Amino acid sequence: MNTVYRHSRAWNVSWLFVLIGVFSLVFADLEVISLEPWQELKRLFLGLFSPDWTNASEIAQAFLQTLSFAILGVAGGSLAGFLLALVFHWRLVRVSCAFIRAIHELFWALIFLQIFGLHPLTGLLAIGLPYAATFAKIYAEILEEGDKSALQAIGHNVSTISSFFYARLPDLWAHFKTYTLYRLECGLRSSAILGFVGLPTLGYSLSSAFMEGHYSVVWALLLLFYLLIASIRYWVRPALLPVYIIAAPFIIANDSQISFENVARFFTEDIIPAPIRNGETLAETWHWFSDLFMTQALPGIANTLVLTQIALVVTGALALIMFPLISRHFFQRTGRGIGHLLLVVMRSTPEYILAYIFLQLWGPSMLPAIAALALHNGAIIGHLIGRYSTEMTLRLDAAVGLNRYFYEMVPRLYGQFLAFLFYRWEIILRESAILGILGIATLGFYIDSSIQELYFDKAMILIVITALLNVGVDALSRYLRARLRLRTSVDCGAGNDYCTAK
Amino acid sequence: MIQLQAETASYRGVKTLHDIDLHITKGEKLALVGQSGSGKSTLIKLIYDRYPVDTSLVPQDYGLVQHLSVYHNTYIGRLDQFSTWYNLVNLIRPWPDQVNKVRAILTGLQLEEHIFRPVGELSGGQKQRVAVARSLFQKGQLLLADEPVSSVDEQQSKEVLKQLMDGFSTIVLALHDIQLALAFCDRIIGLENGRIVLDRPSKSLSTQDLLSLY
Amino acid sequence: MFKTKITPIHLFLFLVLLFSASAQAVSDKTLVFSAIPDQDETRLKERFGDIATYLSNKLGIPVKYVPVKSYAAVVTAFRNNQVQLAWFGGLSGVQARLRVKDSQAIAQGVEDTTFRTYIIANHSTGLKASDDFPTGIAGKTFTFGSKGSTSGRLMPQYYIEQAMHKKVNDIFKRVGFSGNHSKTISLVQSGAYEVGAVNFKVWEKELKAGKIDTSKVSVIWKTPTYPDYQWTIRGDVDKVWGKGFSDKVKAALLDLKDPDLLERFPRSAFISAKNSDYQPILDTAKKIGLID
Repeated sequence: MNTVYRHSRAWNVSWLFVLIGVFSLVFADLEVISLEPWQELKRLFLGLFSPDWTNASEIAQAFLQTLSFAILGVAGGSLAGFLLALVFHWRLVRVSCAFIRAIHELFWALIFLQIFGLHPLTGLLAIGLPYAATFAKIYAEILEEGDKSALQAIGHNVSTISSFFYARLPDLWAHFKTYTLYRLECGLRSSAILGFVGLPTLGYSLSSAFMEGHYSVVWALLLLFYLLIASIRYWVRPALLPVYIIAAPFIIANDSQISFENVARFFTEDIIPAPIRNGETLAETWHWFSDLFMTQALPGIANTLVLTQIALVVTGALALIMFPLISRHFFQRTGRGIGHLLLVVMRSTPEYILAYIFLQLWGPSMLPAIAALALHNGAIIGHLIGRYSTEMTLRLDAAVGLNRYFYEMVPRLYGQFLAFLFYRWEIILRESAILGILGIATLGFYIDSSIQELYFDKAMILIVITALLNVGVDALSRYLRARLRLRTSVDCGAGNDYCTAK
Repeated sequence: MIQLQAETASYRGVKTLHDIDLHITKGEKLALVGQSGSGKSTLIKLIYDRYPVDTSLVPQDYGLVQHLSVYHNTYIGRLDQFSTWYNLVNLIRPWPDQVNKVRAILTGLQLEEHIFRPVGELSGGQKQRVAVARSLFQKGQLLLADEPVSSVDEQQSKEVLKQLMDGFSTIVLALHDIQLALAFCDRIIGLENGRIVLDRPSKSLSTQDLLSLY
Repeated sequence: MFKTKITPIHLFLFLVLLFSASAQAVSDKTLVFSAIPDQDETRLKERFGDIATYLSNKLGIPVKYVPVKSYAAVVTAFRNNQVQLAWFGGLSGVQARLRVKDSQAIAQGVEDTTFRTYIIANHSTGLKASDDFPTGIAGKTFTFGSKGSTSGRLMPQYYIEQAMHKKVNDIFKRVGFSGNHSKTISLVQSGAYEVGAVNFKVWEKELKAGKIDTSKVSVIWKTPTYPDYQWTIRGDVDKVWGKGFSDKVKAALLDLKDPDLLERFPRSAFISAKNSDYQPILDTAKKIGLID
């Protein structure tokens, strides 16, 4: 037996993905269509050394708004998510949450903009709703996997609530806290990019400044944003949270009002497919739908998948290239310091902003989108497996250099790496769709176009299609992980995978 | 060949070896005996630290790569003797002549049938023999082995030790099994609390003499 | 330990504050207006902030300008009554008035009765200015302005498809949407796109300001004229601010003579407008498929 060398299943699956990625290249539009991309890049780079703070009050305002939306959205989301986690065993809750999660914050924002307009509720719900669905899932996992022995030891006649607070919460508290804090960081990024569709957060100023090539302003905003994220554990203090939560509503309040007439109209008219709304025949309705499907949904789906698969492979490659930068098995302290800085900057910058930057430089082909997705996600995975590799001990006589990399490190890390990559798969898909708003012909392009043309019925159908695509990829990823027996063991609180779960 | 003089060593910040004077000439086969915690492993690490060049190592925890095959784990012993590209190609498609060399070693250790299985799927005793196979493949001037037969049965222990004795001329073994130490090595070093308390040829020793160390 | 968690009390407080904040706003009757973000988005507030002050002085009520990121968002805000008065483009105005019953176009710029779109091209294309439609643009890369723009998308798309008897996607190698007119100019100038469609007023304004490098980009064709921008007001404003309010707003706009303020639009003066002036836009939008 075993006389011929066979590669592992993980290896074969990896190559399958690489092949799909390479095949996708055939259909991808990768042209650099800017005549002077390096000129522009140089200008962008020079802006770094002359950040422009002259609009300090406007910048401060943008940051306060970003913070307030993030804090309130995440707070509301975690509360709702916690309550949902308690009933997460209900199928309806599970399925609804999966569906809500599958729709990106920006799409939620586009939807709520139609319902509530410029009212702050738009931003709060755009963050709070998808976050609640994610919180529900992860909190439920924490509850599920936590030690239940203390609960069983408690008397029978103790009320459910008391026993929860005495026998479960104390042990699980640290896990909840770790994850919630992590999500607050995500919330800051989400809040920032909501500005790109018109909320008064960081993205608003950032996109305007970019649009006009005011790179000094761009850097002022970005540097402050990195600072905000890097210092998160200093300003998020239990004692301060109530202060933030009380202050935030005043910051985001504006004079807009919610008209319930509008809310009702959105649900009863705007999103009802036009032929149904106008009482047309079934044949016309079918024609309307098939036309939408063939001319928008189908090319959108195809481009979204092409972008996702290419970005996934490049993400993986970048993660494998970058993780040694922060591993003690490859670099000394100073080298690792530089590596950490690089990875922190890349993973703190939302994909959307990275894509926006590259798009200004290279024009709207898939190239900037691939670069943005791969750099951001590659840095996240590189960070996670780099950290994991640092925890490993090698033999005294372990090889050095490339031999160490290929014979000692990569084989040990590969399972972890694949698990993380498959986790990010669905996230990359969701982002690929959203990057369409920037002009790349993925689903987001068609959704944004429908909204700009005020066809909310079409937009809604396309959003639902996007969500279903996401749910599908999520299921496929779960199947592959189970099939390859991939588990991540980097402990970020509860011995759970949730640090990458979105 | 090995010359240690008044050496001390620490393990996790605690001094575990004191005033070690040790001289080993080429061709000697040493056994380190003593209770666990007496400093055997630390002494092995110390020797490796001083004489890393062309030294084969069998560490106590094997240090194998679980997801690589038995063949590749054995091949790792000679990574530094080939060019990187040769090593990389070998990772993707094993070189037949290397496979044959490795297979010969594995046959002696009764691992031949597992040659292309990932190490992670093997039993503890099999993994230990893979670690031994790597050292045999590397074939350094000196073998440093820390309890290389702790997980295999008595019969196999003897065979594994025989392979090692034939494969290397100079050997330092940490062994808790006194009888095996006396049977296979020609010089016994007794350790107690990090000090050398005994250093005699095995011919002049009996099992009884060594029991006092335990 | 539990106090770090957001408790229901916090949430309750937050909701109370949120709604009291919005309830408060109902009582002071601020007229809110907005405008389509058709050029330099970093200066929208500078551009329209002073218009709010002017209107406030003229009307004797608080007037506020809210910046909005997209054409569609202005229509939505107008429809949701979060904005009562708006400086719309031809298309966005038609879209808005279709959605808000009794809303009226009240004023337009003098130039808006005979608006045009310029087709501009980078000199690397070798395309030259002509009176006939430049069929040589086929196979080039092409950028519109905003997806919801009249002069940046609707009319040029209509005239191009008319002349070429094909859909734009089949005519050009690549079709993009720059976002606004200033960006269209800079993209064509830099060569990121070879050809583009731009609002003629923005072109002339930027040309005058010396922001255009005429050695790299120039106008190759001018569309026929069509009606474009206008001020549109909601029909229910009279109920809130009293009878005749929309006439007062109209008068205030027609009375706007300060050249500095007019330059913000940029128009030489405002004249009266009515909904029917924009029938051609509605017809074109239906032909293109932008309105059902």
